[in-house]
Amino acid sequence: MNLKNLTIKKFHEGLLNKDFSALEIAKAFFDYIDKEDEKIGAYLRLTKDLAFSQANKTDVDLAEGKELDILAGVPLAIKDNILIENEPTTAASKILANYRASYDATAVKKLKSVGAVFLGKTNMDEFAMGASTENSGFKITKNPYDLERVPGGSSGGSAAAVAADMATAALGSDTGGSIRQPASFCGVVGLKPTYGAVSRYGLIAMASSLDQIGPMAKTVEDAAILFKAISGRDELDSTSANPPSGGKYGDELLNPKLENIKKLKIGVPKEYFIAEGLDKSVLKTIEEAIKTLKKLGFEFKEISLPHTKYAVSVYYIIMPAEVSANLARYDGIRYGQMSDVKGQMSLKDIYLKTRGEGFGDEVKRRAILGTFVLSAGYYDAYYAKAQKVRQLIKKDFDEAFKEVDVILTPVYPTPAFKIGEKIDDPLKMYLGDIFTIPVNLAGLPAISIPVKSQNLEIKGQLPVGFQLIGKPFREADILGIGRYYESLIINH
Amino acid sequence: MKKEIISKKTLEYLAELARIELKPEKEEKLLKDLEKILEYFEELKKVNVENIEPMAGGANLKNVFREDESNVKCQMSDVKLMDAFPEKEGGYLKVPEVFE
Repeated sequence: MNLKNLTIKKFHEGLLNKDFSALEIAKAFFDYIDKEDEKIGAYLRLTKDLAFSQANKTDVDLAEGKELDILAGVPLAIKDNILIENEPTTAASKILANYRASYDATAVKKLKSVGAVFLGKTNMDEFAMGASTENSGFKITKNPYDLERVPGGSSGGSAAAVAADMATAALGSDTGGSIRQPASFCGVVGLKPTYGAVSRYGLIAMASSLDQIGPMAKTVEDAAILFKAISGRDELDSTSANPPSGGKYGDELLNPKLENIKKLKIGVPKEYFIAEGLDKSVLKTIEEAIKTLKKLGFEFKEISLPHTKYAVSVYYIIMPAEVSANLARYDGIRYGQMSDVKGQMSLKDIYLKTRGEGFGDEVKRRAILGTFVLSAGYYDAYYAKAQKVRQLIKKDFDEAFKEVDVILTPVYPTPAFKIGEKIDDPLKMYLGDIFTIPVNLAGLPAISIPVKSQNLEIKGQLPVGFQLIGKPFREADILGIGRYYESLIINH
Repeated sequence: MKKEIISKKTLEYLAELARIELKPEKEEKLLKDLEKILEYFEELKKVNVENIEPMAGGANLKNVFREDESNVKCQMSDVKLMDAFPEKEGGYLKVPEVFE
């Protein structure tokens, strides 16, 4: 059984052809993970019992002649900040080391209802705070392409699991690039949906006005299949919404028509190509992707997003502010008490000790930074100002989308960096997020797609992705272009 | 000497507000990092935001209401929530005294 290149589509066909059973595939994945993950470290925990019972159900359904959903039996990895009922869920934080989820996230519930199989929970930066997965409270994950390098983050475990064939696809979450950047580093596809397109119910909150759950997959088509399955308005998340046109994502999501896709005009923002620190190899790779798309017949136009350079400042004010509020729930009272809290401690001491012991350095840094920018005397200069500049960043996109339908940019200034390279310099780490952050601030959908090349010079390098940014709820546009890009490369 | 944005005293006060106990040996590095980050934010002073409305959320939704009744869709079991309690007594969460 070949787990390499096993896409959702191929799995479904094989299952219906009786080439294998869902249970056989789940077992094969676990055998492979047992062998392979020792060196990668993508998973925090495997959910074998759950996976076997889910896979078995698909096999029974098939034997009984029931119609199977395209995701039935498909082995997925789930980022550990997304709740699966009864399973330990830590968001890679020691403060949640003993926590067991008491309910399913809506995205998980939807995947369960179509018969998907969950292999395990993947490693991440603690509470999704980081860009390298080095901030995990438990372990480091390595990039499958180069074990001395990071897989990116914060969804580094999910990206590495898919890249190393330890899952067919995965769920990640993206607050400032946490799906797209690891996808770029690990050579997989990662989609950050429009804010509100996927319910955040059951996603452990980091920054609530920015967080989104999204798919990570081997192909654009698989990302589209997973996205369609988890999207939609949910009563349990009042910020979730259906697409304004018709209230539902249509057939174009899975079956884009070339004649419609070809009409889309692609904008290239000059600010993203003059940014400080943009690696020459990345620039070359992105130019290669543009060349390929031009060959497909797409029209390109240079555009301007003038407030791009302020995005890092705006993000690292707004996000920590929301973090400081969202983390207040980790008080060690209702769950997540640390072991050195004992005896007759006062309530305040329980808080101080639990959070002092339970949170890692980056989480503390952000909670304190957030407390600062919200505090009396500083609120106007930092938080209120950042909210206004956020509006300007969004307006830049609104203006650009009057001229073009989709925007193409790099995902990250460099390919995967070395483990330890940036971890002691938080500002350096933050500055790398410049190309992914604006998308979250503006609530837009964006996808990272691996650049594949015939050019030998580029071929041997570390993976690099290019980013397509779409209008709100127009995932179909960026997925559609991605599909045609992918088909051209595969059929070449 | 550059103007200090955040002092050691302020840092300790913020940590207390955030209810985070800091290890003394980590304070200096944390202070240095925060200072560098806040210095970077100075660039925002250059942006003119006159007549710009703040953007307060990720979506443009307005007035999202639901019926004022218990949400039947949210079926979280009491037992499972209570299982996570570090200490309980007679079906209640046990906490230390709040007033000293």
